[in-house]
Order: sequence, then structure tokens, then C-alpha cells
Amino acid sequence: MQNMNLYSRGDKFFVKINMVLVALFTISTLYPFIYIAAMSFSSGFAATSGKVVLTPIQSTLAAYNVVLAEPEFWRSYLNTFIYTIGGTIMSLLIVIPGAYALSRPQLLGRRFWNLLVAFTMWFNAGMIPFWLNMRDLGLLDSYFGIIIAFAVNAFNIILLRNFFESIPSSFEEAARMDGANEFQILWKVYMPLSKAAIATITLFCVVARWNGFFWAMILLSDESKIPLQVYLRHTIQRLSDDEEFTTTLITAPYSVETVTAAIIICSIIPVLLFYPFIQKYFNKGILLGGVKE
Amino acid sequence: MSGVSIESVFKRYGAVQVVHGVDLTVEEKEFVVLVGPSGCGKSTTLRMIAGLEEISDGEIAIDGRVVNRIAPKDRDVAMVFQNYALYPHLNVAENMAFGLRIRRMPKDEVKKQITEVAEILGLTEYLERRPADLSGGQRQRVAMGRAIVRHPKVFLFDEPLSNLDAKLRTQMRAEIRRLHNRLGVTSVYVTHDQVEAMTLADRIVVMNDGNIEQVGTPMELFNNPVNTFVAGFLGSPPMNQIQGTLTDQGAQIGGHELRILGAASGQTGRDVVVGIRPEHISLEAGPETSPLPIALDLVEPLGSEALLHGSFGDTPMVLKVDTHGDVAHLSGVSEIHVPADLVYLFDAETGGAIRGQAN
Repeated sequence: MQNMNLYSRGDKFFVKINMVLVALFTISTLYPFIYIAAMSFSSGFAATSGKVVLTPIQSTLAAYNVVLAEPEFWRSYLNTFIYTIGGTIMSLLIVIPGAYALSRPQLLGRRFWNLLVAFTMWFNAGMIPFWLNMRDLGLLDSYFGIIIAFAVNAFNIILLRNFFESIPSSFEEAARMDGANEFQILWKVYMPLSKAAIATITLFCVVARWNGFFWAMILLSDESKIPLQVYLRHTIQRLSDDEEFTTTLITAPYSVETVTAAIIICSIIPVLLFYPFIQKYFNKGILLGGVKE
Repeated sequence: MSGVSIESVFKRYGAVQVVHGVDLTVEEKEFVVLVGPSGCGKSTTLRMIAGLEEISDGEIAIDGRVVNRIAPKDRDVAMVFQNYALYPHLNVAENMAFGLRIRRMPKDEVKKQITEVAEILGLTEYLERRPADLSGGQRQRVAMGRAIVRHPKVFLFDEPLSNLDAKLRTQMRAEIRRLHNRLGVTSVYVTHDQVEAMTLADRIVVMNDGNIEQVGTPMELFNNPVNTFVAGFLGSPPMNQIQGTLTDQGAQIGGHELRILGAASGQTGRDVVVGIRPEHISLEAGPETSPLPIALDLVEPLGSEALLHGSFGDTPMVLKVDTHGDVAHLSGVSEIHVPADLVYLFDAETGGAIRGQAN
């Protein structure tokens, strides 16, 4: 059979350019991670003198020994889990029913409510009023404060609302004829059909919570409640200010850089482990076969 | 009595009225088909029966109970949707069981019902499959199964076959009719396909522009259409309609005298529309036929029959003739013969029937 040339020279060139761009993008995304990993396994001297580029120099687990031996590290790690899991669950509990309600054509004043939600994306009170508000509500230095204060995200609501709106109304009508109430329609029909969108939002929430730094720093002064990111900052500060530590840099098996890198690696691992579980939902075609358009 | 009664039902969306006072009674166990062109209000009427659309005015009763303010789930009706609306995350058995589980039917009973219905519909071996793994016909059968397992008082079908290919549609059409004969459940079926309407219905309701044009058995409507719309809608190909004027013996059309048996006497000079069904036209002269010239431009062979497309004056015409195994001779046709007893007459102004088929 004749080998037909389906692609023009221009097409092939376009594909090659794309591949080069994708490769460059992948490298630029991956390299910081590789660099930090190499740094965390290198000696303090190698790290400080800038010898680490791609692989660990004078390989050692010293930085990890330091990090893992700190009870505060484990406490902040636990706190991050609490904020991430609690915050994500709280967000989903609010965002999913909220998005569903906003997607219903029969919602009274639907346009107004949608506008109200979108409004918060453009305008908000600002940092100081927000802090004062949290103080007056007694939510400073509180686990619940961090969990509830950032539970509603207008972007996520709008994203999910749009997804719900794209589901053919005949599913809802069929469920309604089958005897389902609003809650059952959401739980048994819309949520299973929206796994991909919910997975996306869950990932957004998890990553945002896991990396949450700024507001945790502002709202939490109790060391026992700070998350990992704030702990990381405190550690860098503490080690930089430690004169005894900085004077032994040449001989010390670890440095501020390697300890920082080790904490970063420790903090990345859970997200890396979580992603494959959620990745399977990032597939299209969940509605395939259910309706014929 | 599990019938459906619709009394002076109106549907308005804001200032736009789409259903204008529909009256219809569907008897128990009857299979009624609502047919009409897109936008005629047939689906809206069905959805009002289902409870998926509110009724702006009027009254709908199911089994003698007014349901205007009753939720769809409490009307005891089941609906088969045009696009199937099968839950893609559930398998066939779970799809069919959905309504029963919502109603908290015991598991054993659910299983029994599913097994029974799956057997009726030939779905037993597909119970574990997801909708995506089924063919179009199988999906449609699952959609019907989901309706049947609930044993509703009324089945509602919203163009259930329109997404299937022609062959499957014919097959499923027969299956639906057999199923109705077996289950005997009152059914209201919406379609824009007049063939479906003719083959399935006990009675057909022809709708146009939010109004009912005519209600009757398929043959009543075919033989005695009340107006040009019904005459043109039922029948394949549709009835030829030619402007003319009544004479003593029949009608004058395009300068030709057409003999019509039993033409309304004493109305000479009245403007009319003459209706001639394509299959009533003959290529050979008979004792009671009138010749008409035709300019043929296309012959469509269908096997045992052929459709001849042409024009009489400025009016396009179609006729259906037997081929007797050959279509070569048909391309030379220049004259057709219209039997005097098989001509319809409609008022030119109102479109209303002056007389139906003579015999």
C-alpha cells in the first residue's frame, strides 16, 4: 500500500516547533524540582558554594536528619494536613451545592446571585478589614478560622456552575420523573457526571491549602498552629540568625539551603502522591453514551 | 380509568403563547400520537402532561385526578426522552433500577422487576454494561425499560426514535407497538414523523402552530383530512395540492377540466384547492379519469414503486407508480390520469375540506 503523505512540510515544521516548545516548558518546570531535590541531598558546603546544579554533591541525609528530628516540623506538617483536608472538605461542601443552585434556571433572582458571587472576584474588603473581621469573630489563632475563612472561592463556584449548566437538562428531568428530589438529583446524577470538574476543584483547593502561607502567617501567631509553609519561613529565619550555625558552615554537613530544600521536598511529597489518584478523573467523555445529541 | 384528559390547556412563555387552548382525551390503554412540524407545541403539550412544564391555563387530569399542581414524580407517569437520558455512570440494571431505588423498593423486588423487564426487552445479557457500550437501539430499549419497570399509569414518549437510523427506527417502531399491545398502558407519543404516527397510533392528533388540527384514527385522517394542512402532512409523499375553480362537472385547474365525482353542486366559480394523492394518479386512462399534462424532471426508483417528480403548470407534482420491474419507460411520461372518485376539495381561502374522498 502506498505510504500517503498526509502532512505538508509546513504541518511537520509546526509539529516540530511545538515539540521543542513543550520540551523547553517541561524542562523549565521540572528543573527547579530536580535542583531542590539535589540540593537537599548535598552537603552544606557544596550547597553554599554553589556547586549543586543537577545532581547531589557530597551526598548526605544530614539535612533530612535535622528536619525530621524537629518536633515542630511534625506539628506543622500535621497542621497543614488539618488545614488542607478540613479546608478542602469545607470548600466542597459549600461550593458544590452553591454551584448547583446557581446553575438552576428555576432559581429565583438567579442573575442577581450569580453577579453577587462574581462580584467577589473583582472586589474584596482588603487585608486589614479582613483581619479585623477575623479578630472580631474570634477566629484569630484558630484552626476553624483558617478552614472557614477561605472556604468559598468564587472562581471555583463559577467553574463548577458552568460545568453543571453544560449537563443536558434531560438528565435532571429523567431523574425528576424517576422521583428524585433536588438533593438526590445533585448527589446521584450531577455529582457523578461532574467527577472531572469536582476533581479539578478539589485539586485547586488542595494545592491552594497545602501551599497556604500568607494568611496563615497573618492570622496565626500561635507556633503550635502554624502550617508547614510558615514553619519553613521560621526555620530559614532561625538558621540565618544562628551565629554558631553560620560560623561552622564550611564543616557543617548541612546549611540553611539544604535544610530549606529538605523541608520543601518533604512538603511536596504528599501533593505528588495525591495527584495520581485524582488524575484519572481528568478525562473527557464522562457523558458519553448517556445522551444522544 | 388511567386515561389523560386535557382541557383548554394554554402554555405561555412571557408574552409568547405556544399552545392555544388544547382539548384532548386519551382513553385508557389507548396509544395516541401527537404529530406535527417542529414548533407546533406537541412536545410542550407532552411535557405539560409530564409535569416538566407548568400549565399557564387549563386543566390536565391523569386517571381522573387533576395534576396541574402535582410534581412529576407523583403523577405516576414515565417518560422516554429523545436523547435517551441514560445515566452514563450507571450500568443498564442500575439505570433501570434508579427510579425504584429512589422510591425505596426492596432490593429483591427491584431485582425481580429488572429481570422481568430485561427479558421482555431482550436486555438480559447487557445488564452489566454501561450506556456507552451499547448500540443506539439497545440504549433506546434501556430507556424504555427504565419507564416500564415503574409500571406507570401513562407512558410518555418524546420523539424516542428520532436519533436512530432508518432501519433501526422501523424495527423499534414495531417493538414499541408490540410492547404496547402486550402491556396495554395508556401512551402518548410525540413525533414529527408521519409514518411513525400512522403505524403506531390508535388515534393521531395533528398539531400545528399550537393548535390541534384534527384528531382521529390514522385512516380517518388519511381518508378525510379536515384541511389542507392535515392533507399535506399525512401521506408519503404528501398530497398534491393545486389551485382551481369549481365547475359543473368538477374543477378547472390550469386551463384543464378535471372531472370530480360528487363535486359540490351549485358552487360553480368557487375557488378551491384540488387535492390528489400521489398514489391515486394513474399513467393509463380509465373510464372515470381526466388527463393532465405533466412536465417530468425526475424519476426516483424505490424498487417495486417509483416516485415521479414533475410539474403541472407552475405547481410541483409527485406521483407514485408501480414499476413492474423497470423504470426506463417512466422517463417518457408526459400525461397523467386522475380518477374522478379520488379527488379532494378544499376551500381556497380557509383550507377547510369541502369534501373528502368520494368512496
